[in-house]
Amino acid sequence: MQRMACSFPDEVLEHVFSFVQCDNDRNAISTVCKSWYKIERWSRRRVFVGNCYAISPGMVIRRFPELRSIELKGKPHFADFNLVPDGWGGYVAPWISAMAAAYPWLEEIRLKRMVITDENLELIAKSFKNFKVLVLSSCEGFSTEGLAAVAANCRNLRELDLRESEVEDLSGHWLSHFPDDYTSLVSLNIACLGCEVSFSALERLVGRCPNLRTLRLNRAVPLDKLANLLRRAPQLVELGTGAYSSELRPDVFSNLSGAFSGCKELKSLSGFWDVVPGYLPAVYPICCRLTTLNLSYATIQSPDLIKLVGQCQNLQRLWVLDYIEDAGLDAVAASCKGLRELRVFPSDPFGPEPNVLLTEQGLVSVSEGCPKLQSVLYFCRQMSNAALMTIARNRPNMTRFRLCIIEPGTPDYLTLQPLDVGFGAIVEHCKDLQRLSLSGLLTDRVFEYIGTYAKKLEMLSVAFAGESDLGLHHVLSGCENLRKLEIRDCPFGDKALLANAAKLETMRSLWMSSCSVTFGACKLLGQKMPRLNVEVIDERGPPDSRPERCPIEKLYIYRTVAGPRFDMPGFVWTIDEDSAMRLS
Amino acid sequence: MSEFDMAVIKPEMIKSYIWLQTADGSIQQVEQEVAMFCPMICHEIIQKGMGSSKTYAISLPQRVNPCMLSLILDYCRFHQVTGRSNKERKSFDEKFIRMDTKRLCELTSAADGLQLKPLVDLTSRALARIIEGKTPEEIREIFHLPDDLTEEEKLEPLKNSTDDPRIRLLNRLYARKRKELKEREHLKNVETEEERVDDRSVEDLLSFINGGNGDSKVLKTSKSKKKNRRRKEQQKNASVDESIESHGKDSNGLNFVCNGTGVDKLQPHPGETSTLPDVEDDTFPHKVEFDDGDIDDEIDPALREKIDREVEDFARRLNSDWPERMQEILSLGQERRPVNENGSLRRYTRPDPEWK
Repeated sequence: MQRMACSFPDEVLEHVFSFVQCDNDRNAISTVCKSWYKIERWSRRRVFVGNCYAISPGMVIRRFPELRSIELKGKPHFADFNLVPDGWGGYVAPWISAMAAAYPWLEEIRLKRMVITDENLELIAKSFKNFKVLVLSSCEGFSTEGLAAVAANCRNLRELDLRESEVEDLSGHWLSHFPDDYTSLVSLNIACLGCEVSFSALERLVGRCPNLRTLRLNRAVPLDKLANLLRRAPQLVELGTGAYSSELRPDVFSNLSGAFSGCKELKSLSGFWDVVPGYLPAVYPICCRLTTLNLSYATIQSPDLIKLVGQCQNLQRLWVLDYIEDAGLDAVAASCKGLRELRVFPSDPFGPEPNVLLTEQGLVSVSEGCPKLQSVLYFCRQMSNAALMTIARNRPNMTRFRLCIIEPGTPDYLTLQPLDVGFGAIVEHCKDLQRLSLSGLLTDRVFEYIGTYAKKLEMLSVAFAGESDLGLHHVLSGCENLRKLEIRDCPFGDKALLANAAKLETMRSLWMSSCSVTFGACKLLGQKMPRLNVEVIDERGPPDSRPERCPIEKLYIYRTVAGPRFDMPGFVWTIDEDSAMRLS
Repeated sequence: MSEFDMAVIKPEMIKSYIWLQTADGSIQQVEQEVAMFCPMICHEIIQKGMGSSKTYAISLPQRVNPCMLSLILDYCRFHQVTGRSNKERKSFDEKFIRMDTKRLCELTSAADGLQLKPLVDLTSRALARIIEGKTPEEIREIFHLPDDLTEEEKLEPLKNSTDDPRIRLLNRLYARKRKELKEREHLKNVETEEERVDDRSVEDLLSFINGGNGDSKVLKTSKSKKKNRRRKEQQKNASVDESIESHGKDSNGLNFVCNGTGVDKLQPHPGETSTLPDVEDDTFPHKVEFDDGDIDDEIDPALREKIDREVEDFARRLNSDWPERMQEILSLGQERRPVNENGSLRRYTRPDPEWK
């Protein structure tokens, strides 16, 4: 039998496909042959669109008529550092309206860095009868009114997760819009909300939802009320506290401690704003079960942190401020042998002098002591090539390495050399490295290492590094799996960009700001590469009002099959094929 | 005699048999409790009263040939016995599906024909595992499938970068370029003054974009553009920062070949009405070298001319800048410019809450 798959009825093949869920595999399946393409597109239930402008809603809908779940990303990552001016784009409205008509059975919407309005939320609430999951990560444009609409109408809602979104807080009463007979809540994350939510409504909601696993409160929820909530939801797996401060009172303490002890399933803790150290021991009974601990808002000092972390033998993920210091990281290295991810955030990034005893040594310790460590985000003020080489040799299993030396252009503090060989060691030893952020004093050398060794690298962030176009060329020509490249304040100009123009079509996006790219090069790219949108973002006015060799402020290039977009603000220009400068 | 005694003396007298006929005409007898494990057979027995004799043998679907039937009956024979532990069943299943892909496909099809869901699930999962992690090419080979999608229909040709012949060519070009760069490194260590600097790449840039004349291999010697860089490398003390702060085209790196711009447009997939603004009726062209300039075919000639002129202009400017720029660079020399401006740290104004 030569063509054996053809003896399959379509339903059987579809059944086989139902066991293949990973996006890459589904993509592969869809380009095997005509019949598989057809079956795959009808059976696809979930789609991830990494750049909402890469494709139009209509195209997605036409290809995948039976979607139940969609994930969209809008603004580029550097928007987190305020590098993308307000009003740039990322509006979800066209998607929601198109899907409201096409997918009445849509269940899940996940958005990241997009603009969503109250009207959009109301449309979601009205249009999708079986709506279950809404995740808004770093989104903006909506208020608590929109949330009220979702609460009131989505009877089957399971997840409402607002992580780090900017919400206009009009009233805390939106929570009361969940009907009294609504009991299906599984996950609620309102940590980003500023104002107080109605606590009694919250208590009742928590009490009547037996499947609630995740509850992340906002700062306004006082500590003395936390125990009540916990007692109503002892099945919680993930908890984010509110403000962790209160007058030290033994009754409050024992109540809290008892409540925590009652949560036998609790594996993840976060929150901890305004920590009063005296209340930390209340969580000690559950530390041994914790796999995730997010203390990135907790201004507690090293000794308290050491006591806490020392009891978390099963910790896999730790996010903490640099108050932990080298001593605390030594403790982590000693106690948390299963640690996979470490993020150390700066407590005082703008201060001229170091305020804590955190150096490269802390990271070296953890790299030595934690054999499963594969993901690192580390802010510090000094680094050495020797330390980086040690880390690289210790942890060849590293997949995400983001180092942020706070002062740009900081050399190896021991030798005053650039940190090229240190990062070179990282890419050479960590063969599965997918994500890398560079910092410190770096020449073109480091990019040569990256282009040579970082073959699995998918995302690279560069700031204040390099000397010439050669650096950019090394990366664009060497990194075969590169999908996202973001660059700021580097002396990269037109040459490497133009020479590697075709590479840009194999990537999701390229961001370059405060570099040396001219408008002439942008025009050229825009004219020659119809499958790329070349966006020049310049708040100084039209780029052709300046000499062509004047560098543009910001450049955002992304591949797209949807053509130029029509929702650009006045400070974004693209050039399309008729070589007229297009505004919108 | 009691039924029990009968069973002890002649167990086969108690057991019933079902008659099954496969598409090739052959008929066989199968223990009833084993055959009944298959819903389709069950249905035939109970609803239609078939299977009790040779003449009324149950006709099985065509995709259940005797070989597959035998396999399926082995499966049923094992699983229809109650009292087996989950561990035992799982262990049996794992061994059971160890067979080549072709048989696995046949078995899936046959099990589906008999509506034997647990076996369909088992074999489907096994097939899914085979598919996972493979490229479309590999999948086609394993399952003997035709490559009948047109390039236009492959909505994301760029993802499967090894498929697209342009990307393959590109990679070859990159590899060649990398090799050249390496060679230049060696040369750099040998030469002290002048160097074969890649002036020609600007010509190449021109020629690729213009649909060039092939002669892009002319080497021009000129003032070393990498002198500055070499000097930097020779310096042990890197505190002297010669990073070029000024704007403009003063990058002193190597010039590179502009690797064909792949102007072919992506066609929408067939199910879609052409609403893309820039759609043209194009077949996927030219799986040939970059030098042959066919790449620009789709652009309207007047426009192409205009673009070509702009490109030439631009390239000329890029090129002519060099001598003056070099002087600038050399004279700037030791001067260290502050690298950072006012906003020292602008990363992470707040902790990144990404949980991924």
